[in-house]
Amino acid sequence: MYTNRKYYEPYISPFDPCKPIRMKSYSTPPNLYLGFQPPGLEQFSPREALKSGTLWKVFYDPYEKNKEG
Amino acid sequence: MSHKQLPKEYYELLEELQATDFVLLELTLYLDTHPNDIDAIKQFNEFAKMRKQLKKKYEKEYGPLLQYGNSYSSYPWNWDDAPWPWQV
Repeated sequence: MYTNRKYYEPYISPFDPCKPIRMKSYSTPPNLYLGFQPPGLEQFSPREALKSGTLWKVFYDPYEKNKEG
Repeated sequence: MSHKQLPKEYYELLEELQATDFVLLELTLYLDTHPNDIDAIKQFNEFAKMRKQLKKKYEKEYGPLLQYGNSYSSYPWNWDDAPWPWQV
């Protein structure tokens, strides 16, 4: 199963004065992995859809609280 | 003048209306690119009908939702009474 969060290790220069950030990550939206949306995907109920920002479960992509940066 | 307070049902009805509107919005965007998805069109019409009923119910109790003839007016003319949408 793919994950939306991708990680990479930035180049750290020996002259870098600040504490280096060794691992950085970025989130990729689910629609990249879907291409043209097929019909009949599983849906949220109206209230859940309103809260989660999408009607179809596959596109649900919240920002996790602790995984910033 | 007593401090006007909205009943709990008001917020439930409003949230249901918002949820229905959101589903209609998503289905509209989906149908723009999938014009012959018959199930989505059925669902769209179902929710459109449900939205009309919700609007009628809301307006019977709490006054007009829209203006310029998109909603009936109650008596007296009260579309500009508090609470405004952002005050709700």
